[in-house]
Amino acid sequence: MSETQRPKSVGARVQRLEDPRLLAGRGRFTDDHRAPDTLHLAFRRSEEAHARILAIDTATAAAMPGVVAVFTAADLAGEIRPVRAESRMRDYYATEFVALATNKVRYVGEAIAVVAAESRYLAEDAAAEIEVDFESLPPLGDTDAALAEGAALLHEEAASNVIARREFARGEVEEAFFAAPHRVGGRFRMHRKTPAAIENRAYRAEFDPGRGHLTVHSATQVPGLIRDALAEILDLPGSRLRVVAGDVGGGFGGKASLYPEEVVVAALARRLEATVKWTGDRLEDLTTTSQAFDEVVEAELAFDGAGRLLGLTAEVVGDVGAYSIYPWTASLEPVQVISFLPGPYRLPAYRGAVRAVATNKPPMGPYRGVGRPVSVFVMERLIDMAASKLGLDPVEMRRRNLVAADEFPYRAGSGLMWDRSGFHECLEAAVAEIDYAGRRAAQSAGPGADGRLIGIGVASYAELTGIGSRISAAPGMPINTGTETATIQLDSTGAVRAAFGIASHGQGLETTLAQVIADELGVAPDAVEIVQGDSAAVPHGTGTYASRSTVLAGGAAILSARGLRERIVQVAALLFEAAADDVEITDGIVAVAGTDRRMSFRELAKAFYSEMGRLPREVRDELALEVTRVYDPFFGTTTSATHIAVVAVDPETCEVEVLDYAVAEDCGRVINPAIVDGQVHGGVAQGIGAALFEEVRHDADGQCLTGSFVDYVVPSAAEIPAISVTHVESVLPATEGGFRGMGEGGTIGATGAIANAVTDALRPLDIDIMELPVTPERLFRLIQNAKINAKTKERDET
Amino acid sequence: MKPPPFDYARPESLEEALDLLARHGDEAKLLAGGQSLMAMLNFRLLAPAILVDINRLDRLAGIEEGDGRLSIGALTRHHALETSDLVAERLPVLHAAMGHVAHLAIRNRGTVGGSLAHADPAAELPAMMCLLDATLRVAGPAGTREISVHDFFTGALETALGDDEILLGIDLPSLPPGTAWGFEEFSRRAGDFALAGVAVLVEPTGAVRLALLGVDETPVRARAAEAELARGALSDAAVGQAVEALRAEISPLDDLHAGADYRRHLAGVLTTRALAAARARLA
Ligand SMILES: Cc1cc2nc3c(=O)[nH]c(=O)nc-3n(C[C@H](O)[C@H](O)[C@H](O)COP(=O)(O)OP(=O)(O)OC[C@H]3O[C@@H](n4cnc5c(N)ncnc54)[C@H](O)[C@@H]3O)c2cc1C
Repeated sequence: MSETQRPKSVGARVQRLEDPRLLAGRGRFTDDHRAPDTLHLAFRRSEEAHARILAIDTATAAAMPGVVAVFTAADLAGEIRPVRAESRMRDYYATEFVALATNKVRYVGEAIAVVAAESRYLAEDAAAEIEVDFESLPPLGDTDAALAEGAALLHEEAASNVIARREFARGEVEEAFFAAPHRVGGRFRMHRKTPAAIENRAYRAEFDPGRGHLTVHSATQVPGLIRDALAEILDLPGSRLRVVAGDVGGGFGGKASLYPEEVVVAALARRLEATVKWTGDRLEDLTTTSQAFDEVVEAELAFDGAGRLLGLTAEVVGDVGAYSIYPWTASLEPVQVISFLPGPYRLPAYRGAVRAVATNKPPMGPYRGVGRPVSVFVMERLIDMAASKLGLDPVEMRRRNLVAADEFPYRAGSGLMWDRSGFHECLEAAVAEIDYAGRRAAQSAGPGADGRLIGIGVASYAELTGIGSRISAAPGMPINTGTETATIQLDSTGAVRAAFGIASHGQGLETTLAQVIADELGVAPDAVEIVQGDSAAVPHGTGTYASRSTVLAGGAAILSARGLRERIVQVAALLFEAAADDVEITDGIVAVAGTDRRMSFRELAKAFYSEMGRLPREVRDELALEVTRVYDPFFGTTTSATHIAVVAVDPETCEVEVLDYAVAEDCGRVINPAIVDGQVHGGVAQGIGAALFEEVRHDADGQCLTGSFVDYVVPSAAEIPAISVTHVESVLPATEGGFRGMGEGGTIGATGAIANAVTDALRPLDIDIMELPVTPERLFRLIQNAKINAKTKERDET
Repeated sequence: MKPPPFDYARPESLEEALDLLARHGDEAKLLAGGQSLMAMLNFRLLAPAILVDINRLDRLAGIEEGDGRLSIGALTRHHALETSDLVAERLPVLHAAMGHVAHLAIRNRGTVGGSLAHADPAAELPAMMCLLDATLRVAGPAGTREISVHDFFTGALETALGDDEILLGIDLPSLPPGTAWGFEEFSRRAGDFALAGVAVLVEPTGAVRLALLGVDETPVRARAAEAELARGALSDAAVGQAVEALRAEISPLDDLHAGADYRRHLAGVLTTRALAAARARLA
């Protein structure tokens, strides 16, 4: 049978293979393992945002019931070797990774000491009794405080609170602005967000003292990275250190970094020769898991009378919190803002500059979209402001400026290279899907009977996904994130097992990778066992982040599955005494075309491994039924989309309701449309959260005000509209399989679409949304000010 | 987020419960649905020496009609109130409000008594009691006493209940036939505590009752606004004046989700809407 005749599972809405387990409560999460002798940890955390530690008294805690041991940094000094988030970037200061605070604390919630006890209850009782003598230092509650003349230094050795700087420039920016007939711009503010995965961070480590083996079960997205880091920190060879991410309940970037608790759990398991566990609670998650955004962007856009973009400038100040997160560095989030700001547009001149400023807040880390939700918010607002100034429709404005099919590959102002992706196709598909013209017509009829104002918001974006070894996933980071390994074997029972370095934590990768392999090998997807989330599965792997897993692991899966298929075919040819060309594999049955000679994988495996004499002995070596291939897409590939949101704003209560939402995206070849839809839905929900609801707040002293889900407002199903997703497969990229990454896009597009929709709704009041999230309270103030301004204007005019 | 250590008792009778309270004084805490108390314990905001679980006192649960009033036991779950035909028929405004109390899972456990004793100024039930002129029945070491709801809420999370007292239930006088009602609230998410909420009753005589939640340290009966409305017979002008009066009558707090100005503004908007709904029902 030819390629095209074989039944394909790629492209089909295959039900997620992991779901029966996860939906029936049969998943195995880190906290689910309950060995009787487990020691439970509780951390004594700082209540001060910025202070020197003068003394720590653990005596009372150590004597409390059920307490096995109490440790401070000093007690673990010999156990934990220092590491830093290194980067080749100039103008960057790598702060030291701190497991337990030594002489200073730098944010509220920072771990100072740890109690190991028989239960978490007893551990918490004891942790509350650890006395810390602080000498308060001036808190740097925000970037203004940290940048002020004479401000206290967070890291004295850095000599500045600005711990990273970067600038991108292309074209003649000054001239472009000088010559431009029009410009728009302003100060944009995106507040701080937290990933808020449903499963809090959790770590459990087991030590086998006889063999000196340490196994760390971690609710992480990056078991390979953690294994490599712990090997260095604990000075252990990888062969005796295994990091396993079992089922993981979401991450969104918050579980993609190395954490103090993770290091302490691992170190104490070895030190105490015991199983040690820590499961973060929601308060700990909201105050210590890496956070996102928190940027101020001053941006200006120059354009001509026909709406053609001429130049763009941006100054970004990012509040990166107390430490440079390992391994991504503090530059990751804010630098991405200027990397992606030019968006999918033809833009001859660009200058973007960024400063990463350390403050007394939890560290900034990767979060779904990294920087791009902020770039899209800013750029898409600018595009709409420009359209409004010229009286152009926002869609038409985009039509005139999106990079066109014949212009790819296109180098963006920040140096990023866009390979061909459906920029225009997505715009047109979203416009059609939402019935843009019909919506505009309805909108022009005025507010409905309920007095609500309708707004329509468009946002187009492009992002780089599946990044290969040419570029680091974080600026200048000396860790290769650009390759993935797949090892696929047919074992002696005839079962197919495929091992990867990625770590699915909700994305359905067990299904998509099985689909890819199924088609290559000629078996059903559920006949392929996917092993992932385990550092022992492959010699090197990093994990799942940056919309990389399907592109990289999918590519490696194709290559190694093809290799294995070839060997199976050759083995079959020998067994059947037929020509390899005549051997075909369908549904796990190997047969000689046009004959009734056939055997199952089980029979073939038995013949190959067990039935001596059926094959020449060299064959067992030459045709070993295990193939490992590494895939490196080198550059990566462009994913693009257009989002259109329709909102209703009640100008009296200041409520924003998202009525409708359409996404058209080009993620290359779609492996499983149901999974892509799910990823987009979840992403959009998080983007709506970022645009309307979610904000981590600290007071001027650095105290977190949003320590529960009552105060940190994540939208629930009731606040999220039905979202339609259109898949545009414009032209397949050059990646193996033609896949583009799509895990983050939903979040990236939503900030811009919502901000534009709310602005569009408020046009009668002449309000521009420049700050997200636009909460009811913020909207109230904007509307009050607009009313005052309108009155003043009226008075001035009369 | 684990509670500090505490002892636990589960009395089988009211006497036993009262006895435990008498013995432990302010060291004891009653546990009803646990939907507010457990969160406070887990945050270690409270550290009672003993929890007295009253969930076995079945006689404290139930809704009964008689003597021109509706009596609701303290241990009645929010969900029972929400789904009671009696309540829907006699006090539709209360029925409407109950759908706004938290989420179904919480309504399944949370109790009327717990909500009133907890006295969150943004909770629905305290404001509804003020609207409906409830009388609270309370048992203590010296026997039972009755407290008018208007004397019950003394501050945010503060009531006239003594440490040794148990709320038994509430009595709600019937409404005159033909009484029209309106209920409006605004919260950031479905099921959240409201930023502000308003309930109104318009009696056939023209008397108006107006109660608000989330706009002060306690639920508020807006007496000045009520007077304006009664005087102006619910005309648009009267509604405007009532809103003015009401905005002066309340002193909302600034918190994370809403500033005082916004809350005051919302109170007016919601009052106007609730009155419009009541007027529509009168017609
Ligand atoms: C996520 C969430 C959202 C919520 N949203 C809302 C909302 O929108 N609106 C709303 O109104 N409420 C809301 N609540 C609170 C909820 O309604 C609680 O159920 C209610 O406030 C407390 O009732 P309980 O029976 O659970 O009391 P418990 O938590 O058991 O007790 C609360 C307090 O009352 C005391 N107490 C209980 N029973 C008695 C009694 N019979 N006599 C004397 N004292 C007693 C206890 O000692 C304790 O101090 C929310 C709760 C949560 C967790």
